[in-house]
Amino acid sequence: MWLKSIFTKSLRDYRVAVVGWGLGMGLICLATMASVSQLVVTPQARAELVALSKQFEWNAPAIDVDSVGGYTTFKIGIFVFLIVVWPLLAGSRMLRGEEERGSLDVLLSTPRSRTRLVLEKIGAYWAALLAMTVVMATVLYVGGESFGGNFGFAGAFLFALNLALLCAVFAGVALFISQFTQERGTAAGWTGALLLLFIVMDMAGRVFPGRADWLVQLSPIYYYNLSKPLIPSFGTNAGGMLTLLAVAVVLDIASAWIFLRRDVGATIPLPSWLRPAPRATSGPAALPARDWSLRSVYARSLRMIAMPTFWWTVFMSGFAAWMLVVVNQISAQLVPLLQSSPTFVAMLQQLGGGTVDFTAQFVSAIFQILPILLMAFVVSQVNAWSSDEEDGRLELVLATPQPRRAVILGRFAALSTATVAMGVTTLVVCAIGAALGGVSLDGGKLAAACLGMIPLGILIGGIGYFAGGWLRTAADTGLLSIILAAWFFITFIGPDLQWPDAAMRVSALYYYGKPLVDGIPVANVVGLVALGMVALALGTLRFARKDIGV
Amino acid sequence: MIDVQGLTKSYGKNRGIIDVSFEVPEGEVFGFLGPNGAGKTTTIRILMALLRADGGTARVGGLDCWDSSIDIKKMVGYVPGEPSLDPNLTGGQILEYFANLRGGVDQAYLKQLIARLDLDTRRKFRQYSSGNKRKVVLIQAFMHRPRLLILDEPTNGLDPINQAVFDDLVREARSEGRTVLLSSHVLSEVEKTCSRVGIIREGRLVQVGGLAELKDIKRYEVTIVFGSAVPANAFAALPGVGAVVPLNNGHALRIAVQGAADAVIKAAAQYPVVSITSYEPSLEDIFMKYYETEGRTREPSHVA
Repeated sequence: MWLKSIFTKSLRDYRVAVVGWGLGMGLICLATMASVSQLVVTPQARAELVALSKQFEWNAPAIDVDSVGGYTTFKIGIFVFLIVVWPLLAGSRMLRGEEERGSLDVLLSTPRSRTRLVLEKIGAYWAALLAMTVVMATVLYVGGESFGGNFGFAGAFLFALNLALLCAVFAGVALFISQFTQERGTAAGWTGALLLLFIVMDMAGRVFPGRADWLVQLSPIYYYNLSKPLIPSFGTNAGGMLTLLAVAVVLDIASAWIFLRRDVGATIPLPSWLRPAPRATSGPAALPARDWSLRSVYARSLRMIAMPTFWWTVFMSGFAAWMLVVVNQISAQLVPLLQSSPTFVAMLQQLGGGTVDFTAQFVSAIFQILPILLMAFVVSQVNAWSSDEEDGRLELVLATPQPRRAVILGRFAALSTATVAMGVTTLVVCAIGAALGGVSLDGGKLAAACLGMIPLGILIGGIGYFAGGWLRTAADTGLLSIILAAWFFITFIGPDLQWPDAAMRVSALYYYGKPLVDGIPVANVVGLVALGMVALALGTLRFARKDIGV
Repeated sequence: MIDVQGLTKSYGKNRGIIDVSFEVPEGEVFGFLGPNGAGKTTTIRILMALLRADGGTARVGGLDCWDSSIDIKKMVGYVPGEPSLDPNLTGGQILEYFANLRGGVDQAYLKQLIARLDLDTRRKFRQYSSGNKRKVVLIQAFMHRPRLLILDEPTNGLDPINQAVFDDLVREARSEGRTVLLSSHVLSEVEKTCSRVGIIREGRLVQVGGLAELKDIKRYEVTIVFGSAVPANAFAALPGVGAVVPLNNGHALRIAVQGAADAVIKAAAQYPVVSITSYEPSLEDIFMKYYETEGRTREPSHVA
């Protein structure tokens, strides 16, 4: 049944994402709903939650946060950048991915017009988004009923639909950009950069209200935030949702229009001023290239990883620097509130660590997100390693007199170098940002916070290389994503649910702790690195003995 | 140079290769023939230590392929069946990378190979046509003048001009005393360059021998035109005769003969003969017939 048409086949390809992403997003909301009751046990705590959330409005609008629907809307607003990752990848892969694999040539050799092909593919994507919306809405509705939400199924559905429309916009952006790039990865990278820009634009609108509102309205996230269907008093803004729908449809139509007019496997040429200058080389004289990155597996791996490392570092350190710029402004408002609120002192201590220095405590709480970003980067690179083997790109390297252990360790060493570079760069950027923003931070603890992320990267990388010895790329990446999500929930939701310490210790983030306030015990660093090394050693043993590409 | 004995490999419940044995002496160009999925690539990937055999031994230059894989790879040039390389590197960068991984190569010879195969080294691998991708992979296999070349369907995608260049490269390797294991299902290619051939079918090596030996098992066809109609059964029982097909109302016979045709000629002499034509099959014909008929009923044979 699923292989009857391009539409159904494409829909079939999305089936795991429909269940995984739809259910995953629903469960995120469910976990958030479950935590609300713990935060509003008394009227005073409820008032404090509202007041505290107002201080975070630069991140996401805080409306009716003392209600199940309001708090869920607020929390999802903070993590919206994680939610659009799948659509971003799916959009860049929809046509360009198939062109890279060469499968589009075969597909177009069947008696199907290009128009029909592109419409069926885009249609399948929209159908998948709709299915995700239904899955997520169902989970939301069940959560709302269980935890006292004051919204019905219509509200849950509209909330999920609003999120799906935002996803459709970013998928459309990725699809559109992929018409101009030779590789889907490049399109995904540019879309990711635009996502970051749109998030910052949206934040700027709340931090500096009244200034450059027209700029804020260029961000799709602005239109997403216009609707809050889980908050009945706020409701749904049809104009906002229709704007998202219109932008997504226009992007899809523009992409299809370009696709119908360009060569398969080629791109629409960029204007001359955007095109990189051609390199002046000629024939065999181009050899030897004397390129440092071609001297060893390690050097080549480092070069391969350089560009993603750069962009992830920009994102991470940019995020950290932004926090340091706004922290003084926020903490000035927070200090009086915290001094009068034992509940939120406890809550902030839970996130940021126990200290009388509120600025350090606040920055520490915010810095909890950085190791997760670094580990997400490592997961993406483990995926690259695993797919290199699966796609046969290791075959010829292993046909040279390189020991297998040198190949895997060279690749891992490059990944470790990248994580060290990310940690050190974040440290330098944070130190500069703190100096410029007049934030007084303990240098040693700032170093512990930034460099302490590195062992976590090594750990998740080691686990990924180990599991990659048995699992195929998708399963390996899926496993790591589940581990990362589990650690995230244990660390961030566990305290709200008052989970026991033994459960909290399951998360590697527990051992990272709150280094900006408490530092990191050497034993924890050694333990994380040792565990990562054990996983890597076992992964290396497995790789040295396994059948390649089977 | 290559010594494979009782080599067996399975992929779970799926067949790989079963009890494969053959030897390739140094300096020989050995053709490894078989249809898709017969087990050629599995055998080759075991030789390259990319797969680990379930049973049997595989040795190159007297060294065990798994235990001494690094030493073996120093003397081997390899072309995989489905080459996949970093799409973002240029052809030149790929060649330099592999040259470095091999500890350096003779740059003059490398440039000579690039010129002979007419490769534009400035383009990125992903921008190459399949033929040009194949050229990059061929050059990296030959550029360090290896003692042994293991080539898995090396001419896929090459145009006739570059196939001729490839044939020349293999002949040069042979004349320099180097060994070549050439896997292919293009029999004319094997016929042009190989001195011995092994045929693999459904994971089992069913025949190994010199080209001449293989042609000894050939079935050639003799068409005899007679002045009058002759009985077909007068020829059917003769030694070495296979099928006898009457043509032109019995005035001509098409007779499949294996081995000596002496009995057929003597029998034909009993009748008024107008003409005799004999068609000698190519290796390809032998191969196809082998697969269509005998290959389905023969037991595996191990011939060194």
